[in-house]
Amino acid sequence: MPSSLPLFDSAPLPVATRGPRSTPERWLPTRPLPAPTLWLCLHLPQLPLEVRTRGLPASRACVLVEGEGTRRRVLMANTRAATLGIRAGMPVGAAHALGEVVELERSVEAEQAALTRLAHWAMQFSPLVSLVAPDGVLLEVRGSLRLFQGVEGLLTRLRQGLKQLGYRAQYAVAPTPLAATALARVSARAVVEDMHELPRHLAGLPLAALRLAPAEEEALASVGVRTVGECRRLARADLARRLSPALLDHFDKLHGLAPDPRAALPVPNRFESRLELPWEVSHAQALVTAGERLLHELQGFLRGHNAVTRLLRWRLRDRSGHWQSFELRLTQPGREQAHMLLLLRETLMRMSLAAPVTAMELLVDDLVQGRPGEGADLFGQRPAAQGEAYAAFIDRLRARCGDEALRGVALEAAHRPEAAWRWRQGEGLTLAQRVGARSLSAAGRQARPLWLVREPLTLPTHEGIPHFEGPLTLAPERERIEAGWWEGPAPARDYFVARTPRGGRLWVYKELEGEQRWRLHGVFE
Amino acid sequence: MSLEDLLQRAQVWRAGRAAPGVGLASGFAALDAILPGGGWPTRGLTEILAAGSGIGALRLVLPALARLSREGRWIIWVAPPHIPYSPALSGHGLDLTRVLVVDFPEDERNAAAQSLWAYEQALRFDACGAALLWVDRLPQLRLRRLQLAAESGATWGLLFRPAACAAQASPAPLRLELRALDAASAPAALQVRLHKARGRHAGQCCRLELEI
Repeated sequence: MPSSLPLFDSAPLPVATRGPRSTPERWLPTRPLPAPTLWLCLHLPQLPLEVRTRGLPASRACVLVEGEGTRRRVLMANTRAATLGIRAGMPVGAAHALGEVVELERSVEAEQAALTRLAHWAMQFSPLVSLVAPDGVLLEVRGSLRLFQGVEGLLTRLRQGLKQLGYRAQYAVAPTPLAATALARVSARAVVEDMHELPRHLAGLPLAALRLAPAEEEALASVGVRTVGECRRLARADLARRLSPALLDHFDKLHGLAPDPRAALPVPNRFESRLELPWEVSHAQALVTAGERLLHELQGFLRGHNAVTRLLRWRLRDRSGHWQSFELRLTQPGREQAHMLLLLRETLMRMSLAAPVTAMELLVDDLVQGRPGEGADLFGQRPAAQGEAYAAFIDRLRARCGDEALRGVALEAAHRPEAAWRWRQGEGLTLAQRVGARSLSAAGRQARPLWLVREPLTLPTHEGIPHFEGPLTLAPERERIEAGWWEGPAPARDYFVARTPRGGRLWVYKELEGEQRWRLHGVFE
Repeated sequence: MSLEDLLQRAQVWRAGRAAPGVGLASGFAALDAILPGGGWPTRGLTEILAAGSGIGALRLVLPALARLSREGRWIIWVAPPHIPYSPALSGHGLDLTRVLVVDFPEDERNAAAQSLWAYEQALRFDACGAALLWVDRLPQLRLRRLQLAAESGATWGLLFRPAACAAQASPAPLRLELRALDAASAPAALQVRLHKARGRHAGQCCRLELEI
């Protein structure tokens, strides 16, 4: 391979034998622009199908169909369908004859929405991400190479991420956006880091990979030009005159001879993603796969935006179009996918679906700038790591047991025993907080039971003696507790420590008004 | 392998020798004297089998819980029979910010299963000092599972069960029977009997006087 290839007119190309005329490339020896940029293109050949199938594990044969009436044909088939022998282009009827298949309608809007979300997800790898409609995403990665340990490290991360999203992609890295795009369309994986290497890699590229206007491609084909290398051997002036100046510009951009700036995709301030399921699902547990995909999208989005969140809002659409919604709350703002998935799993396990679900949606608009675990503790009272472990623990319990099941306790400044304490719930449970005033009843001085009975229990009496597991023996000391006038009507009570025949100690009171009942209010356990 | 090696590995215990390791001081000298390791275990299950309510099953462990809470460890109460009354807890020195109560309305479908699940999570949660569960009947398999969870973590698992459960075999390495002595006396006296203790002869007793 001659080393002087970057000067386009200098040497024959490997494909020269197939060219229309065996002449050297005619283009002016323009020096390629210096290339500080490196572009990575993700090309998703199966996007239309994957958008419809990725919500559930690939347990059934699925085909994407196109056309009307009797001319309906298979556009794409998933792996399972392919093993049945179903191929693209086959009439739908023939596909059904080969086995049980799920027919899916194509949705161009859903594809474009999915592509945009993929681009937002990819912002974790590069700040400059743009779309190559309808099936590509372009990233400027020169600045990210060090962080991800070179092109190989970056590609590995991308591949793993895309797998979790449920997409298969072809990758190409090249110094110009058009070259990366075109290479990604024809090869599973191509890496050209050096501008000088570029012409060699582009030479054999079929023109179809450039997606030129059909008229231009036809015109070139009519003179026997089918690859980029063959095209380069045409005279620049001829090319511009016979075809169009725009085509020449396209070729210049492809080779880095003309600048080709790309606008970064605008950054939305909320995350919203919907996943259509390929078939209806009637058990909430089956939604885990879809949830995992959405959470992975969210994680990439949050990383790219350097943000964390506390609130995940989910919606499920049933077959009648009705939406059912639920929320996942994080005690500590975060973006850890594994933790969120655990919470989602627990929540789905508790959930019963009113009707079979056809789509799942995740919406996050509570975005907080920052990294997980940053400045989460208001008072700095506990080491951050321990606080984080606690937050994760609480979230897990909350997801499985429900919000109401978790409570802390606190003191209240009140005289009546039932008012001298309160539950701490929700936010109060996790903020390191002052526990509240000393109780007026002065816990230290007066005897208070460790258990307070939820509803004071009326005790039966025999000859004036209250009974609980037998007759109670009352200690001589009594404590009179009267409610303040501001606490509403509550009769005064005389409290006693009572002993059961088995030696247990109880806290009982006698009402001083009304029926004068004896009631059990606490246990000195 | 020599006999000394075997003994060093602490897999063999000899009756009458305290198990290696230092227990958590219970706050009662007489009790520490009979507990293996000279105090409460810092991990694993401990069963408290109380004959009757109000005899002091909670006060028995409260000094140790209070100290754990002041060290910043969580005290997690699962399915308590009544409301843990914060004025009394705080009066006994418990740090209320470290108290977490997990319970379910009685009408909840599988409250018992949920409680066990939450308890197991608490046992496996490293920052939890002690996890308390009030439970009556428990299948042997569940008990074993809980014991494994308690041994794998760093949490002291307390199981409060009625005295009648003493008859059921249990994998818990420490089981205590509690009984009130002479009901008439004040202050109340409590008899603690080692029903089972790894590293100790079972059947040892001590008598404690508990203030309210």
